[in-house]
Amino acid sequence: MFFNRRGSKKYAYITARVRAMKSKLIQREVFPKMMNMDLAEITRFIGESEYKQDVDELAQKYSGIDLVEHALNQNLARTYRKLLRISKDEPHYLITEYLRYWDIWNIKTILRGKYYGATLEEIQEAVVAAGQLGYRQLISIAGMESIDDIKVALENTPYHSAISDYQGGMLSTVENNLDKLYYSRILSSMGKSKGEKLSLKFIKTEIDLKNLKTLFRTKKADLPRDEIMELLISGGAELKDGDLRRLVSLSWPDFIKSMEDYSYWSALSEVISEDMPSLMDVEAELDKYAMKYSSKVSHYYPLSILPIFDYIVRKNNEINNLRTIARGKESALSDDIIKKHLVM
Amino acid sequence: MVDINLAEASVEQILANQRGLIAIGAGLAVGLSGIASALAEKDIGAAAVGAMAEREELFGKGLIMTVIPETIVIFGLVVAILLWFVA
Repeated sequence: MFFNRRGSKKYAYITARVRAMKSKLIQREVFPKMMNMDLAEITRFIGESEYKQDVDELAQKYSGIDLVEHALNQNLARTYRKLLRISKDEPHYLITEYLRYWDIWNIKTILRGKYYGATLEEIQEAVVAAGQLGYRQLISIAGMESIDDIKVALENTPYHSAISDYQGGMLSTVENNLDKLYYSRILSSMGKSKGEKLSLKFIKTEIDLKNLKTLFRTKKADLPRDEIMELLISGGAELKDGDLRRLVSLSWPDFIKSMEDYSYWSALSEVISEDMPSLMDVEAELDKYAMKYSSKVSHYYPLSILPIFDYIVRKNNEINNLRTIARGKESALSDDIIKKHLVM
Repeated sequence: MVDINLAEASVEQILANQRGLIAIGAGLAVGLSGIASALAEKDIGAAAVGAMAEREELFGKGLIMTVIPETIVIFGLVVAILLWFVA
C-alpha cells in the first residue's frame, strides 16, 4: 500500500504547489473593478500582478491592446510550461497529454491563418506555445508558405496522422481529426486507479460539453444529420454514441426539450428556449458549468491530477476574461455586453 | 544466539534474559513508530515544500504541519522509556 506505484506520493508536492499557484489567480471580485478601467489602466494593473514579467518584457515591442494580448498569451504559455517543469513521472505525463490541446489549437490557428491569408504577425498574435511545440518551432511553421511544408514540419509529431490528408481548402475535416486525435490520446492515457477514474470522468464531461456546444450550433444552423455526426466526438460521460445519434436526428424544438433528460439541464434551464436569438448565453453557461465541475471534482480526490486540471482550466479562464475585458474596452463595448462574456 | 536451558539457568541468567527482551521491545517501540512518522511526514513535507516554493510566507505553517506526525515517534519514545525504567 505504501509503496504503490500509482500512490499519492507523486502528487503531494505538485498539488500543494498548484494550489498555492491557484491562490495567486485574480479573484472574481476584481473583474467588475477592472470594467471601470480604461485600457492603459488595465495594462498597468496586470503589469503590477503576476503578469509583470511578461508586460515588462514585451512593453518595448508592443503597445496598447497588442501588448495585453501578447503578454496574456506569453504568460499562459509560461505558466503551463512551469507545470511541466515542476512535475515528473505520472503527473508530468498526464499534464503533457492534457496540454496537447494547445498544440492542436496552434496547428488549427496556423492552418486557419494560411487559409484566410493572414499575415505572419497576425498568426503570431494568436499562437500560444503552451504545448509540446515550442514558440520558435511554431513561428517557423507559421512562416511556411505551402501546406506540404507544414506537413513535413509536423512529420515527427503525433499530429501528422490527423493532417496528412489535408490538401488545402475547407478546414472542418482536419480540425475534427485533430480534436478526435487529442481526445482519443488523453482517454487512452488514463489508468485504472481511483483518482484516474475520476480524471477520466472529468475528461469525458469535457467531451460532453464540447459536443453540446457543437450540437447547439449545428442544430440551430440546421445542418444535415451526417455532417453533424462527423463533428461530434465519441467517448462522452452522459452523451454516449446512442444519445448523440438520437439528439442529432431530432428537430430543434424536440432537441431543446430532450436536453431535460441530462444533468446539464440544471445549468442550461435558465437560458435555453426555442426562440433564443443567440447561443452566447448557452455557451457562457456551459463554460461556467465546466469550471464549477472542475473545482468540485478537484476536492473529491485531492491527491490526484484533478486539482492540476482544475488550475489549468481556471488559468485559461482568467486569461480569457482579461482578454475579453481588454478587447471590449478597446472596442468601446458597453459594460453589460462585456459582463455577459465573462465566465466567473 | 546463546542457547539457554531455563531449567538449568541461574536466577541472574533469567533476569538478564528478561532485560534483554525489554530492550528489544523498547527498540521496536521507537523504531517502528519512527518509520510510521517518516511515512506520514514524507507527503506532508513534499507538499509543504511545494507550497513554500510558490509562497514563502507559508514557511511557518508548513513547518508546523510537517512536524505534527512527530508526535507518533514521541509516543513510541514514551513507551520505550516506560519499558526501560518502569517494567
